[in-house]
Order: sequence, then structure tokens, then C-alpha cells
Amino acid sequence: MNLLEVDGLTVGLERSPVAILADVAFSVPEGRIVGLVGESGSGKTMAALTMMGLLPDGIEVRSGSVRIDGRQLMDPETMTVEPRVGDMAMIFQHPQAALNPTMRVGRQIARVFSLQQGCGREEAMSLAVEMLGRVGIPGAERVARAYPHQLSGGMCQRVMIAMALACRSRILIADEPTTALDVTIQAQIFDLIRDLVEETGAGVLFITHDLAAVAEMCDTVTVLFGGQVMEEGSRDDIFRRPRNPYTTYLLDSVQKEVDPHVIEAGVDFELVGCRFGHRCRHAWEKCGRVPDLITVGAGHRSACFLHAMEENGAGAS
Amino acid sequence: MPALLEVRGLRKTFGRGRGALPAVRGVDLDVERGETVGVVGESGCGKTTLARMVAGLTPATDGDIRFDGSTLDGSSASMENRRRIQMVFQHPAQSLNRRMSVGAMLAEPLRLLAGVPRSETTDRIEGMLQLVGLDPAFRTRRPRQLSGGQQQRVAIARALMPDPDLVVLDEPTSSLDQSLRGRMIALLSRIQEIRDVSYLFISHDLATVRRIADRVAVMYLGRIVEVAGTQQLFEDPRHPYTKALLSVAPTMDLDRTRTRIILEGETPSPIDLPIGCSFQDRCPLVFDRCREESPVLAPMGSYREVECFAVSPSSDH
Repeated sequence: MNLLEVDGLTVGLERSPVAILADVAFSVPEGRIVGLVGESGSGKTMAALTMMGLLPDGIEVRSGSVRIDGRQLMDPETMTVEPRVGDMAMIFQHPQAALNPTMRVGRQIARVFSLQQGCGREEAMSLAVEMLGRVGIPGAERVARAYPHQLSGGMCQRVMIAMALACRSRILIADEPTTALDVTIQAQIFDLIRDLVEETGAGVLFITHDLAAVAEMCDTVTVLFGGQVMEEGSRDDIFRRPRNPYTTYLLDSVQKEVDPHVIEAGVDFELVGCRFGHRCRHAWEKCGRVPDLITVGAGHRSACFLHAMEENGAGAS
Repeated sequence: MPALLEVRGLRKTFGRGRGALPAVRGVDLDVERGETVGVVGESGCGKTTLARMVAGLTPATDGDIRFDGSTLDGSSASMENRRRIQMVFQHPAQSLNRRMSVGAMLAEPLRLLAGVPRSETTDRIEGMLQLVGLDPAFRTRRPRQLSGGQQQRVAIARALMPDPDLVVLDEPTSSLDQSLRGRMIALLSRIQEIRDVSYLFISHDLATVRRIADRVAVMYLGRIVEVAGTQQLFEDPRHPYTKALLSVAPTMDLDRTRTRIILEGETPSPIDLPIGCSFQDRCPLVFDRCREESPVLAPMGSYREVECFAVSPSSDH
């Protein structure tokens, strides 16, 4: 069953026609890790911030719905997402920056317990220490008394995860959670996230630019480019049977020899139609419109006009 | 003939007294002409300090850096050698002068280091821009008008302007999107073919190093713990730290079966190192001897050196 369902999400700059997320949809089932993958400017972090109701000033939601357990979180009047405590928690790329630098980490976790369960100061603190133990922090009592700057990045990320657990969130949004961490520490955090999913049945939206991390962690994958969903499918679909030219390009650029003299171009948000159009070697006149997501296999969809052509071609032959 | 770069017993300690931080603790390393040597390791292992010492940006506390047979010190002969060693940094936006045009930035090293007549400057700049895959029209642009990938190309061009024999690259691809990394690696390889330059390539990104390096040195807490040919190191790592590091590095290969070795804890502080091997607290192979004496890098087979009592019995003093 889908815990989180995002549908038709369009987000743009105020007083500008530019959309940084265009009709984006994805869902996160119970006990699953769903990858939201894309390069700089793909809109992956904007999607997370929208869901948390944390969009910066000057950026507005134009349309779309965000549901948790079928319950609509989008306020139709204000077009903001208003999650309740326990709906979603988010962990960030730079945990040290996300924690309050002036408060001991035990206290920060304890506050979550006080807010959510209304327990007293002492009880909340003992729950906090217990939670630090659960995320694999040795000497939890000592660490609870530390300030974020006294802890390593890996430790702070564990503290963030402990806070997320303390909210008993159904959905954990992890935005590049290990990009700032070393490989051996990343492995520990990945294991911790996997254990949590197994234990609590929470769903995880795993946001990253790192394809290897996606291959390692995710059950299903949604590929974003320039705010458009290019392809979605199981991990096997995306890595073994990619159908969208952008996904293929992305995988090839990591795995295969590439021409060093093809100049990289960023995302052109002014571009009408498929955002990958100007870089796509298959581009043709149709790409001036936005392609729909077409089912290309069970649970596997891709947005490209090529698929319609392939189908017609197959029908004619 | 001696190697192009010979590093012997190199040390760097920051600060003094009880808080002294030994960042590099006795490193020996050679780079041959036309060779690419990768240095990998996690944060705090001393790889950037090593790079900066080789490039002459950080003075060494002890040890020798010999370049083309002569020691790099303050003498005027070694100033000429300084021209022959250039560096590329991790963040091009920070390492380029944002007030200067690309053309002015590329002209400066010609004037200061290479003594090239002004009449040739323009031709050299345009030729260099073409070499790094940029249109000669980029001469008039300023850093902020360039994408991250283009900025890094300019940084590489600037490093190549005085016609160096060795380029030290410190995490040159880490700030780039994944799809650009492959392109940057291909570009560096192409340049190496044309200019016969050597690279000392510093990175925490194992996949990138695997693609470009001929040999790889693995650093842990200021020492090289293993050095071997790239294929040899990645396919058959011997040092327990190298093994663990490679076993947990995420990969896009869904078919790869492997036993993940999750190291416990985190890298200890270099300020307060234990007696004996510095990897002892996290090592799965640790035995009594490792807590009593320090191993040294010792040959193991013809192209490999390992610093470990457990796998290389000759790691004696």
C-alpha cells in the first residue's frame, strides 16, 4: 500500500511562468525505499522541501496533491503542504547545519518526545538516550550531553535519524544523507536506514544524485530532469532496461567512455516541451511538447515520444 | 633514471605540543613520467596535505620531495621546478579569480612563469581552450558566467599553461555532477596522451580513481597503508582497510556479489593515536603485535606494498 502519494505537483517561481517542478508524481509504499534521482537543477530537493512545507520565499506551489495514508496534506486555499507531527521527517545532507548548534543533542531529541507524546522532561530525556542507543551510538548518555559541533558528521546524521524515529514518522525523506560522509560511515548509515525500514515499516524517499547509492539502496526509482519525471520503475528496470534517453545518457556517462569534447549544458528552464530535448540525440519536432509518461513494462513508465513511435513502428511491421 | 617525483619520509604536523596534529606521518611515493597515481582515503587521512606539500603550497615538517632528480627547496633551481608542478583544486569557483576574465587568468602564468613573448600569448590561450574543450570565445568570459564543469576546464587550462610535467589534482571531480565526472576523466586522459604529463590524482571517489589511475595509494591516518597497480588493488585488495573500503563502496553493478565488511566506529583522532598500528581499533585482523609496534610499508609481490603485520609478515622496521 502506498503511504505517500504525490500527484501533479507543479512548483514555480512567483510572478514567472518558469516551473521548477512540472506535473511531478511519485509514491512511496510501506516498508520500501524509493529513489528520487537527478542531477543539479533536477528539482529533487525542491520536491522534498515542498512535501515538508519548507519551500523558500518566492517559490510557490501551483497545483498538486500530497497524500499520506490517503489523507490530503495540501491546503487548497494557501497551496501549502501542512504535514502533521508523525507524517514525515527529513534528514539532510549537512546534519551539523540542520541541528540546533546551541542545544545539546539529547535535549533536541527529548523535545520531540515532549511535543509528540507530552511526556515530562526526565522521561523525554531517558527516551532520547534510549533512541540514541537504537541508532547505534556507543556511549549514548555521554553523546546526549554533547553539542553538535562536538560530534562527527556520521554521529550527527545518526542523531538526525534518532529525531526522525522519535517522531514515529511514517515517511522518512533522506536528502543526500551520506554525500558529506566517508564511504565506511556511509555504509553504516545505509545499514541503519535499511534496519529501520524493516523494523518500523516506514517508507523512505531517498533523494540523491549518486546512481551507485541508488543501486545499492532503492527498491524503485524515479528519475527527474529539469523538474520533469523522465522515467520510473523498479531498480532492475532502471539499471538493466532503461528506456528513456535521459536515463540511458546518465547511466552511460558514469559507466562508459564518453567524448570529452561534448560540452555539458545545464537545464534550460525556458525551454518549452521536453526539458532534455536540446541535449537529446533522438530529439525531433515532437519534443517541443511535453511527453506523457507511457507504460513500457509492468510498473515501468517513461516519458518520451520515441515510445509511441516504436509502438507504431512495431504495429506497422 | 629516477622517477619524476620521489617523495621520501614526508611528514607534516600542524601545531605543536599536546594538541599537535600529525596530518602526514611519513609517506614514500613515486610518480613516473606520464603516469597517473591516485591517492584515495577518507576525510582526515592526509591526502590533501600530501598534495599541497608536493605542489609547494604547504611546507613539510620533515622529509624530502625530489623532482626530476633534484630536491625541492627554496633555491632558484627549485623555483624552475615549481613551474613544472601545477595544481587543480576541488572547488573551481573558489580557486579562480572571479574578477579576471578567462583570457587574463590564462595569460598570467605565461607572463610570470614561462616567459612567453606577448605576441604568442593569444595563440597559446586559444590553443589551450581548445585542448580543454572550450570555445576560444570563452576568453572574454568571467568565472560566474560559466557552469561548474566549464570552470573546472578553465582551472585545468590554467594549470597547464606553464607547460608542467606534473599536475596535482585535488578532488577535481568531486564538486561536479556525476554525468560530468566521466567527461572530465576522459578529458584528463586525452590531455595526458597529447602532453605526456603526469598526474597525482587525489580523491575519495574510488570509482573515479579506478578509471584514471595507473597505480593507487590508499591512505589512512597520515600513512600509505597499501599501494598497488589499479587493477590489482581493486580486484585483489590486501590491506584490511583497503578491503573494507572497497567492499562497502556502492556500485551500479547489480550482479556483483560481495561480502560487505562494515568497519566499526570511526577513524580515531590523529591527535591521540595509539601505540602500534593506527588501524588497530577497527581492524578485523588485529593481534597482539599490532598493539606493540608500528608496521611499515613493505613489498608484497612485485608491484604492491602493504603496511600490515597480518597480511605482510615483512612489515618490520
